[in-house]
Amino acid sequence: MVQAEMVGAMEFQELSMKHNVSGVPQTTINDGAANVVGAVPESNMLAELKRITAK
Amino acid sequence: MATLLNADVRKQIEDAFAPMKESVHVMFFGQKENCEYCADAQQLLEEVVEISEKISMTIYDLDDDADIAKNYNVDKAPGIVIAAKDGDVISDFGVRFAGIPSGHEFTSLIQDIILVSGRDSHLSDDTRDFLKALTEPVLLQVFVTPT
Repeated sequence: MVQAEMVGAMEFQELSMKHNVSGVPQTTINDGAANVVGAVPESNMLAELKRITAK
Repeated sequence: MATLLNADVRKQIEDAFAPMKESVHVMFFGQKENCEYCADAQQLLEEVVEISEKISMTIYDLDDDADIAKNYNVDKAPGIVIAAKDGDVISDFGVRFAGIPSGHEFTSLIQDIILVSGRDSHLSDDTRDFLKALTEPVLLQVFVTPT
């Protein structure tokens, strides 16, 4: 159900541009449903996931 | 061909892999054209996999093995799947790398292999409960740069 992909921003610039990557790490959830910048604590990531899946 | 990992690094990885309990299977997807780092990424993984007998690897081509790539939801080259292996059974935990795992990402690669070998995500109970209840797939793409 969950896939986590590390994406080399330099190698996949088109995708980085699509998701407006300016700082790394940036975690893009479900193709742009949410973007989390920085290495955030697990609880923040969980809150973000809850927010977008609650829709 | 010259090796990408020197003896010091090799030794460090060997030490890091020493406590590994369960087996890990790495699936590498390359591509013949427009893939600047495929050859290097493949060589790097081959050198890493060689260090532990608990790690196996199969090599695929994104175009020639399109069915397998689709099955594992791999759409980029180099694309790497780090899966669990128990006997002949491969279990996909959803761990992927897109791009060559160099620089900091090399450490992430080694840690991911160890994590998958431990069969434990180390996530909190809250997170586990939430993920268990998911009804739609979630894709997390973590954009990184090598430095």
